Amino acid sequence: MKRRISPTLIALALAIVLFFLGGLIQPGFTSFELAMNILRLAAFLGIVAAGQTLVIISGSEGIDLSVGAMVTLGAIISYGLISKRDDRIWIGFLASLGAGVIIGTLNGIGVAYLRIPPLVMTLGMATVIQGLIFAVTQGSLEGGSAPLLSKITTEPLLFGIPGILYIWAAFAGLMWLLLQRTRYGKNLFAIGTNRVTARLSGVNVKATVVTTYMLCSTLASFGGFIFLGYYERVFLNLGNPYTLPSIAAVVMGGTVLSGGVGSYWGTMAGSIVLTLITSLLTTLRMEEHLRQIVYGLILLVLLAAYGRQRALRQ
Amino acid sequence: MKAALNFGLLRRLGRQYFLFSLLLLIVGVVINASLQANFFKPIALVGLLRTYLPLVLLAAGQTIVIIGGGIDLSVGSVVSMVNVILVTRMGAEATQSQVLMAVSLGLLAGILAGALNGACIAFLRFQPLVTTFATSSIFAGIAVWILPRPGGSVPESFMQPYRSSPLGITFPLWVILGVALIWWYLRSTRFGRYLYATGGDAYSAYMSAVPVEWIRFFSYVASGLMAALSGLLLTMSIGTGSALIGLDMTMPSIVSVVLGGTALSGGGGGVIGTILGVFILAIIRNIISFANVPSWWQTLVNGLAVMLILAGPGIWALIRGRRDS
Amino acid sequence: MNKVSLSAQHLVKHYGGVVALADGNLEVNPGEVMTLVGANGSGKSTLGKIVTGVVAPDGGRLLLNDREVVFRTPHAARELGIVAVYQELSLVPRMTIAENIWLGHEWERAGGILRDAEMRQRTRELLALFEGTTHNHLDPDLPISALSPGEKQIVEILKALSWQPSVLFLDEATASLDSRQVNRLFDLIQDWKRQGMAIVFISHRLDEIYRIADRVTVLRNGRTVAAAPISDLSKQELINLMIEGGVATRTNGKRSESYAAGEEVLRVESLSTTTLRAINLVLRRGELVGLGGLQGQGQTELLLALFGAIPYTGQIYLYGRPATLRRPQDAMRHQIAYVPGERNTAGLLPIQSILDNLLLPSWKYYGFPLRIRQAQADAMAVAGGGLKLVMAGLDQPVNTLSGGNAQKVVLGKWLLRRPQILLLDDPTKGVDVGTKGEFYKILSDLRAEGTAILFYSTDDEELLGLCDRVLVLHDGKITAELSGERLVHSELVAAAMGSST
Repeated sequence: MKRRISPTLIALALAIVLFFLGGLIQPGFTSFELAMNILRLAAFLGIVAAGQTLVIISGSEGIDLSVGAMVTLGAIISYGLISKRDDRIWIGFLASLGAGVIIGTLNGIGVAYLRIPPLVMTLGMATVIQGLIFAVTQGSLEGGSAPLLSKITTEPLLFGIPGILYIWAAFAGLMWLLLQRTRYGKNLFAIGTNRVTARLSGVNVKATVVTTYMLCSTLASFGGFIFLGYYERVFLNLGNPYTLPSIAAVVMGGTVLSGGVGSYWGTMAGSIVLTLITSLLTTLRMEEHLRQIVYGLILLVLLAAYGRQRALRQ
Repeated sequence: MKAALNFGLLRRLGRQYFLFSLLLLIVGVVINASLQANFFKPIALVGLLRTYLPLVLLAAGQTIVIIGGGIDLSVGSVVSMVNVILVTRMGAEATQSQVLMAVSLGLLAGILAGALNGACIAFLRFQPLVTTFATSSIFAGIAVWILPRPGGSVPESFMQPYRSSPLGITFPLWVILGVALIWWYLRSTRFGRYLYATGGDAYSAYMSAVPVEWIRFFSYVASGLMAALSGLLLTMSIGTGSALIGLDMTMPSIVSVVLGGTALSGGGGGVIGTILGVFILAIIRNIISFANVPSWWQTLVNGLAVMLILAGPGIWALIRGRRDS
Repeated sequence: MNKVSLSAQHLVKHYGGVVALADGNLEVNPGEVMTLVGANGSGKSTLGKIVTGVVAPDGGRLLLNDREVVFRTPHAARELGIVAVYQELSLVPRMTIAENIWLGHEWERAGGILRDAEMRQRTRELLALFEGTTHNHLDPDLPISALSPGEKQIVEILKALSWQPSVLFLDEATASLDSRQVNRLFDLIQDWKRQGMAIVFISHRLDEIYRIADRVTVLRNGRTVAAAPISDLSKQELINLMIEGGVATRTNGKRSESYAAGEEVLRVESLSTTTLRAINLVLRRGELVGLGGLQGQGQTELLLALFGAIPYTGQIYLYGRPATLRRPQDAMRHQIAYVPGERNTAGLLPIQSILDNLLLPSWKYYGFPLRIRQAQADAMAVAGGGLKLVMAGLDQPVNTLSGGNAQKVVLGKWLLRRPQILLLDDPTKGVDVGTKGEFYKILSDLRAEGTAILFYSTDDEELLGLCDRVLVLHDGKITAELSGERLVHSELVAAAMGSST
């Protein structure tokens, strides 16, 4: 058997090449500040895509198309509850995570127990979340981010590196722990590989599925919380542009769409590459629509590399 | 005699996959009629038909893909793409031949979009969901490229048929009839039969000499063409262009299919159910707006109603405890 | 009908290093029924699949009316009139009977519209062949998913017939038919014979063979060892031909000479599922009990029910106390383990490492965060100790292991759990001889430690060589219990075929 080169390494190599390519196109692209800025944006995408990684590893056409709406909800809840006060950050933090837990559990129950296909369940849930946002805010958003939150996520904290990158690093460690050193992680890979084997080995398949969707929405909501720190303002569909990149980052990191294979390191590398590409396209003054086309093409190329299904003729 | 005839008809109806959808639609109509005094007046009904006709075509194409065991998330973007092509190629003063050129170009774009999806999925064996998600991004980008800002117009003569009523029957009804007839024809051909076989059990179909890959390919081409026709009708209806116009149509197209009794697992269902499904969605929205639901609550109520209907069979099965795994 | 005689000469087929067919010969002429018999694993199915174009041979040749032919696909064989009915059905469940029968060769009229009414009419005529033998009246518009296994089998037979075959292969086509349906099929076969059709009938059931066959071809260990008119052979002679060296070598001495039956660990009273009917059995500590019979008589369902993986009715007692098994976790709590034979679909996580496979049922005992070093040590102890696993390391993915080693991993993951009751579902299928020996050694060690084992095997030699008792299942019921002097091959074959010789 031919050994595959780790997709994580390929993505990282690609990131480095893109970074210096950017430097060739535009001197100053390789500056430390810009690099930190790109990593900062990648951290946000990386956190949103973390949950998507789990859902895709769980297999059986697992996918969560409600992450974009969930990012919006998380950001708006934080915005409303924090209302510019540092001492209320933790309330916003806990409430946004709580919303994620509830929505994600509903997604999981729909998929595991009511057997609604993940695509329909999460697309439908996206509408429900959007409706919830409309209903609760009545279109007028009042609140605000807190200075401390922006400081933590945006400004250099130590050695000129923004706080969010330390958070991301710690988060990555936790993701590794979750995937590789917990029973949940082992069960997740098992149900993604073969649900019959998993069941016949005593894995509670349905509970694992529910937990996975729960974690996904919660992490997306956490992403919304971070978003608030970055931009200090919210709007009603701020998360929508992140659903597709969250999937692209996962696929680029070598997580297989049919389930059972993947890592968070890969998704991190994928997030960095996608953010770099976006920055590069912006540097090239490429407009939004062209970026969209390039995004789609990249995803198709990724599918060609990693996402092929088995042939009928054996 | 007549009773026996009706009984036979009822029995045949009872076997149809869309029975549940039909009942749901009837219940919806009853509720709607009680809220909206003029519901059965032609003007209200015709308005409803005109609003939802583009979705009928879009969802019909989606049905074909889903029966074949796939999914097409790019249909909404194809609608946008065709809409902006038509508007930019025409302008208010376009001649007959220019209109014809624009329409041909639009339909060709839809077919090519479908062929791209089909080739990737059928022959290169890409995963359908993410493939069409990716191409959706590409088509949407192309649409913005062609028409960055909403606007443009089309000749009055191009829009006129949409509001006409040949032989006293409103245009949308003719189109829906046409869709139903074409579907009936397709179902009666080998393509139809093979479509169901491919979606039902690709391996058995392959063992029975069904050209599974080609069937998959053509199901996406059909969907692309239907999306283009949907974009054409939408343009006739509104007479202007926007690159975002189809954005919110993909999800309803899939939901209509499911509401119409076609399972996403493939191999069953049909377009007639989907047409009912579109009108279930239409009635739900209509009820919400006539039930004086505050406008900021409408999306939520709509979303919850749809989710509840979709979850209904699963909840029912769970309560009866029949499904054991 | 074209009259066609088919002759297969010296066919050879290897799967990896395993020889499935060493020298397969088969000849069938118009208007005759040739039956193909042989013990499990003798190469019958492989021979049938080569002749009908499903499998490409590694050697030998096929003659059709004395002209050599090569089939690349089943369709190519079908076009020449050679049509097969296989055990695995090729029906699309959501489509109707008529749609399935004509799938791939529909009748069309101008404009591409299918001649549905005519196909339905022809389907009705075909269904009329089995009129009165089915519980439901079979209508061409019924979906396949509404049919019983026997009715599906009938549709599969009619589907083959719709191709108007010159040579018809029936591979265990009677396995899911009841006696009325079998009788009808045999009447029909007589008609088809008269019309000049050549029929190859593959079956395990001796009495059926004697009723229908004109000639018989016997396969043993991948070789055709005899081809003779059926009237020349008695049942006993036929069984002797199927078994290597005749009935003389009945056991190979692997069976432990004496076993002291310990206390009862498992008692099953009138256990029923959708396929099983009122099963009663008792299993004692340190005992190795076999499950025999033709394939698909409910053996797998019995093991799955005892593992809590499928719903059942009836009472199960474990270690003397009544127990309810709703999920595999319940069974595992009672130290029951289940080793499936379909290792790739039910036993392994193919792309995952040996470590992750071995520890899948055990992670909950390793705390948080998981004590990976401890897990590795435990896995190593099992893999290197009892299993003697040949591997590059615990990180090797199991789909790169040989069949035998992969099966050891499936067993190994339960060894870590120290089962008191071990359920084995044809675990040595496709496993090489050397590994089988190691496997038997593990089983005998387990018995010595007191584990009770329930062992289903399609390999008769294995049952005879290893088991203290063998329960023979037929049609969801235990129809015979063989032990002591009666535990010999001829008795086993006879009981499995549902006849007494």
